[in-house]
Amino acid sequence: MLQFALAGNPNSGKTTLFNALTGSTAHVGNWPGVTVDKRVGVYKKGETPVEIVDLPGIYSLSPYTPEEVIARNFVLDENPDCIINIVDATNLERNLYLTTQLMELDIPLVIALNMTDVLDKNGDKIDVRALEKRIGFPVVEISAIRGENVDTLMARALEAVKNKRVGTSVLKDSLLGSAIANAEIALRLKDVGAPLFHAVKLVEKDGIEVENHPAEARAVQAFIRENVRGKADGEIDTEAEIADARYKYITAHFSSTLTRARRNDTEVGSKSDRADKVLTHKWAGIPIFLLILFGIFHLTFSENVLFLGSIIPSFGEWCAVEGGAMKTVFFAGGLNSPGVILFNLMDWFTATLGEWIIAGIEALGASPAIVSLVENGILRGVFGVLSFLPQILVLFLFFSILEDTGYMARVAFMLDRIFRRFGVSGRAFMPMIMGFGCSVPAMINTRTMADEKEREATVRVIPFFSCGAKMPILLAVAGGIATWFGVGNADVITYSMYLLGMVVALISLLVMRNTTMRGEASPFIMELPAYHVPGFRNLMLHLWDKAKHFIQKAFTIIVASSIVVWFLSSFGWSWNYVGENMDNSILASLGKLVLPLFTPLGFGSQLSADGWVFAVAAVTGLIAKEDVLATFAVLAACLNVSVQSGLDEGVGEVAAMIQATGIGIPALISFIAFNMLTIPCFAAAATAKGEIRKGKFKWTLLFWVFTSYLVSTVIYTVGEWWWTAFIWVAAAVCTGVAIAIHNKKADAKKLLKK
Amino acid sequence: MKPIDWIIIGLAVAAVVGVVVWQIRRKKQGKSGCDCCGNCNGCSGGCACDKKAEE
Repeated sequence: MLQFALAGNPNSGKTTLFNALTGSTAHVGNWPGVTVDKRVGVYKKGETPVEIVDLPGIYSLSPYTPEEVIARNFVLDENPDCIINIVDATNLERNLYLTTQLMELDIPLVIALNMTDVLDKNGDKIDVRALEKRIGFPVVEISAIRGENVDTLMARALEAVKNKRVGTSVLKDSLLGSAIANAEIALRLKDVGAPLFHAVKLVEKDGIEVENHPAEARAVQAFIRENVRGKADGEIDTEAEIADARYKYITAHFSSTLTRARRNDTEVGSKSDRADKVLTHKWAGIPIFLLILFGIFHLTFSENVLFLGSIIPSFGEWCAVEGGAMKTVFFAGGLNSPGVILFNLMDWFTATLGEWIIAGIEALGASPAIVSLVENGILRGVFGVLSFLPQILVLFLFFSILEDTGYMARVAFMLDRIFRRFGVSGRAFMPMIMGFGCSVPAMINTRTMADEKEREATVRVIPFFSCGAKMPILLAVAGGIATWFGVGNADVITYSMYLLGMVVALISLLVMRNTTMRGEASPFIMELPAYHVPGFRNLMLHLWDKAKHFIQKAFTIIVASSIVVWFLSSFGWSWNYVGENMDNSILASLGKLVLPLFTPLGFGSQLSADGWVFAVAAVTGLIAKEDVLATFAVLAACLNVSVQSGLDEGVGEVAAMIQATGIGIPALISFIAFNMLTIPCFAAAATAKGEIRKGKFKWTLLFWVFTSYLVSTVIYTVGEWWWTAFIWVAAAVCTGVAIAIHNKKADAKKLLKK
Repeated sequence: MKPIDWIIIGLAVAAVVGVVVWQIRRKKQGKSGCDCCGNCNGCSGGCACDKKAEE
């Protein structure tokens, strides 16, 4: 069967064309040895079936990223019968750069000029016939998304296959043209396939070529030194020179086939530029980002939007006065944020539903123990977690909007120069910000990172960006602190804890990249899309997906965990029902066993007799982070304190825990930090195991446990005894100095070996 | 114990056992990372539900 390869820039419509050609015959797998998708399908509409291989999107055939290496190796080793080069008509010059490299192979080439309909909408036009004449290859206008002209494209490709082809280059008349010609002759004499392509790469000092043809590489460089004079008469940067020559050729010979419509400078294209002048300003850009982030958290968690209740005291007093149920939904210390309003509505709904269910089973004559199972076990656990669904969705919505508008890509660039100081490129920012939704897709998203060590380091710190599942813990405990102790503001505490996670992530990266995962941050090149309004349908689909899986999790894993926790907290070792005498339960004895481990963190043996509840809650969080709150909800019902009425779901339970155990603010913050930073849920841990190298997972587990333990201990000890801060700072400085000395010695040894 | 008690106990046991079995099956299928992104619609850049790379 004939084999055609699809090659083109990312976002040129390659995969859309692949789907249009192959339909349901497509098979998705992985390229061997790397976690990049491999798509292979069959085009059956012609006389003969043709295998279509969708190569990863690339900007060039230089071996900087796994995608470029895959594409290059495929065209050189597999030698497809034809390459179909998808060119995005709206970015002609940039897309043709790859074309000028593909031309150098001895493989028939057909150009699929995609998105000409978008070009027409802008009033621009490409003279396709003129382009075809100048480029010397068939050029077929297509619309991949509409499936237009794809059969014509395949017909022309099948026609092109009938004629053998020898590579041609646009660099013939460039400064390095003679060096390339000489290298080509030498490689032809050695019977090397695609000699022109390899010759150009040799002149570029391409790493793979130099390794494969060392003698020719030396000869080429000697030829250049003797025969080619650079502009400054010094050593020529051949790679830059060749790239420059390609673009000059494209501009001189192909750009004139594109006719642009007359445009006012204030139109769409420059709107993005004007927005960027503000949003990506050299000094104001990052503070603006932090402000936007604060705004998002404020609109999700605040009970005093825009702090109006504080700014206008009379308004604040009116809000705080208890009114009807509807008033409580919209007002607390001020006007509630959209997230809090939705939370309150969900809370009311679950409370009402819970009352009906309990009334129902009591009416059916269920025994007290069974009523307790349903009320304190199942309903408290599940509804306690479900109540947070609206706020999780609101937060997810805001982050999705930021990502879909193109703003997050710009933030990644702005943060690049800061991230480099910590050993990673700005590319690491995108998966990290996804971690605010869920760690699993965030870890998968690191596959776009070229450097393996950088990628692994990023996978390890992603759980520090508190996912949606951890939000209930943060909110409930922050709310408990603000309510019980009357200290601070729940949304400010929550925002601070999110920031803490980010800071710990950066410091961890710095330590890893200077110790066990030493290396330079990889180059960061990414296409910046123009700002655009996100698609409403797509946003809603994403939200629905998120909601569906959260609810599924609540009614499966959370239900099961809550039932188990209830059982272990309601029965003793002799299988006797202890009811509210929780201290005699199986769970209490297990909790007391692990309690001393948490003493340095502030929620261990120093707490009262019921203090084990925190330790148990932290352990149940390993199954699913929502379980921490579910466990609180189940256990709070059995504590010998009354849950204060009128408090939000979760906050009341935490208030009861505080009352029963005597835990203080530093220990509560430490508890939040521990749950934020420790081993994530089983799903995220399993994903991390799949994404990092074999044998490294146990170290990753150790890293999570150590980091959470250390940070929580620091928070608790500094919170309780402020002077311990000096000891911690001194320890950090000594550790830093020791690492620096060790690295210097290691570098010196390496230099000596060389 | 009344019939309603046994029904509720039975449902609770079935829920716990069912979830445990379901999770074990998903782990064997290599889909233990899918609980968050499910059918991968929300997972840009790849999905835990895809086949793992060949070593």
